[in-house]
Amino acid sequence: MNLITIVLKNMRQRALATWLTTLSVTLGVALTVAILLIRHGMQNRFEQSTLGYEMVVGAKGSPLQLVLNTVFNLDISPGNVSWKLFEQLRDDKRVKFAAPFAVGDNYKGFRIIGTTDTYLKDFEFSEGKKFTLAEGRLFNFSEDTLREAFIEAGERAKDREARERGETPPPRKEREIKRPFEAVLGATVAQDTGLKVGQTFIAAHGVEPSPNAEEHTANPWTIVGILAPTHTAADRALYINLDSFYEIEGHEIREKPGKKEEPAKPEEKDTDPDPGQISGMVLKLRSELHALPLYRELNDREDAMAAFPAVEVRKLFAIVGNVDRVLLAQAVLIAIVAGVAIAVSIYNSMSERRREIAILRALGAKRPTIFAIVVLEAIAICVVGAIAGLLAGHVIVAGANTVLMRVSGFTVPAAQIQPVEWLVLLGCVLLGTLAGFGPAVRAYRTEVAENLAPTN
Amino acid sequence: MESAVLSLRDLRKSYRDADGSLLEVIRINQFELGAREQIALAGASGSGKSTLLNLIAGILLPDSGEVRVNGTDITKLSEAQRDRFRAGKIGYVFQSFNLLQGFTALENVLLGQMFAGASGNGDRAVKLLETVGLGQRLHHKPRALSVGEQQRVAIARALVNAPPLVIADEPTGSLDAANGARVLELLRKVCADNGHALLVVTHDQQVMSAFPKVVRMEELQ
Repeated sequence: MNLITIVLKNMRQRALATWLTTLSVTLGVALTVAILLIRHGMQNRFEQSTLGYEMVVGAKGSPLQLVLNTVFNLDISPGNVSWKLFEQLRDDKRVKFAAPFAVGDNYKGFRIIGTTDTYLKDFEFSEGKKFTLAEGRLFNFSEDTLREAFIEAGERAKDREARERGETPPPRKEREIKRPFEAVLGATVAQDTGLKVGQTFIAAHGVEPSPNAEEHTANPWTIVGILAPTHTAADRALYINLDSFYEIEGHEIREKPGKKEEPAKPEEKDTDPDPGQISGMVLKLRSELHALPLYRELNDREDAMAAFPAVEVRKLFAIVGNVDRVLLAQAVLIAIVAGVAIAVSIYNSMSERRREIAILRALGAKRPTIFAIVVLEAIAICVVGAIAGLLAGHVIVAGANTVLMRVSGFTVPAAQIQPVEWLVLLGCVLLGTLAGFGPAVRAYRTEVAENLAPTN
Repeated sequence: MESAVLSLRDLRKSYRDADGSLLEVIRINQFELGAREQIALAGASGSGKSTLLNLIAGILLPDSGEVRVNGTDITKLSEAQRDRFRAGKIGYVFQSFNLLQGFTALENVLLGQMFAGASGNGDRAVKLLETVGLGQRLHHKPRALSVGEQQRVAIARALVNAPPLVIADEPTGSLDAANGARVLELLRKVCADNGHALLVVTHDQQVMSAFPKVVRMEELQ
């Protein structure tokens, strides 16, 4: 027999009130923990994903949109930049690595990215970590066929424009497509779709899935490889050789990038031997010292802009931080209300328990012992509620992962215990102590003699 | 009396009435209870019997006078010291048993042991419950016991720390005559067998007749 036994007996005697107050603590803690875990996990995942992306370059617009589109496979592409710019930057002495991206299609909601094999071979998505193949091989890519693809895509665009003007486009020689249509899948794509090396898939137009989306049935891609998991957004993408990307109906190159408001004159188009356009590119620099000058140079251009993913993610979480601070405040408020409920519940029970307290005192329990029993009861309710809340919080996170995956492409580790959870537990002990203090003072003051008298 | 387990001297206790006037409820010049002695203290209702037991137990403090239990003047002790002293040296049996309803018979007895700071595995508590005839009802809660059984649990609880002094406030007051007689006989026997002094306050003639010595409250003034 010890104090804890007495406390547990008291709790069992008032089972309904105990469970209801415990439940309110559970609710508050579960929400607090879920918000903290999701916030912490998402920020970690986002920051982890930006590690390899020193600088991204794309069309003028919102730098956050460019980062979300290029690094996280989210949002829509802000527009195109010219292939020439990519070549310039790739050949720039300050640039150590450059890879192009072209987006515009999806397969079952997973984004299809046209790029080069160099990206999958040499890009470090994180410090010292390159993509590795879990199965198969990389796709074949050739810059020569890419140039052909650009020219053909430009011609198709001219034909379409002619048809739109009501003119008959000039007859063109029947083309024989020699380019490979090959794809390498991110780990999550392979796992979720069940696609295997050797199988083919049909892409749908648009970066987001839509029931009315046009499907590129004429050009199925063959899966030649599957990447090992990277735990970044790359796991949720299908990578295709960039030259095959421009073969698709609807991927014609119709206008010069960065000059949407002022359509180029026909003679300008005709004299442009290389109408290639891409959605964006990722750069790694030889030295950090080059970052700012290059960033300024690119942002001074009319047809392109640069962004630092790490900076944009920090800005994003600064904005999101305000929202989740409000949510967190609400959750903490629920926990405080639960604390008040505990205090009221135990305080009210004191009238019924005066006799029990008097008996304990008559048996030799000191006033501080009685005080401790009541405070421990409130603490026990809070701790039990907190532990249940911590577990429930993790269950909520596990459940929320489905939504998170759809919205952001990331999941948060639901089984991992974060240091902040110990603080939550400690906070609940404090909450219990505060909640039990008032009733404990009342119990402490209970007069023994007058409460021992026979009730009948 | 050197061997007195309980000694009261010049004991005074008053309460303030609703109209503000002082009402003296205890006025005892001298009273002693020897080791192993059993006395019934008789008094009419409202004569201050329960107040006297609370003074002896150290639950209440007198306005003046001395309460010595086993040689210790408990009026000189702090509240915490009195609590500890009461737990170890005084067994208290109440008229309405005062068992904790959420605890089993055994747990109620163990509670008495716990506050005395006694360590042990509960063997003594079990033995005492067996002695009072509740060996088969150790794990029953008070609601599952008859009133007679409840009072026997209370007796076991009062004796669990082997106190030199056992006090009882109308111990048969909530029982019918037959049950009352059995419980009283049991209380007296267990106290005698274990060497505890017993002081019972009562207004019940049947109880008084069971004791070798009866002292009336009026005689103590």
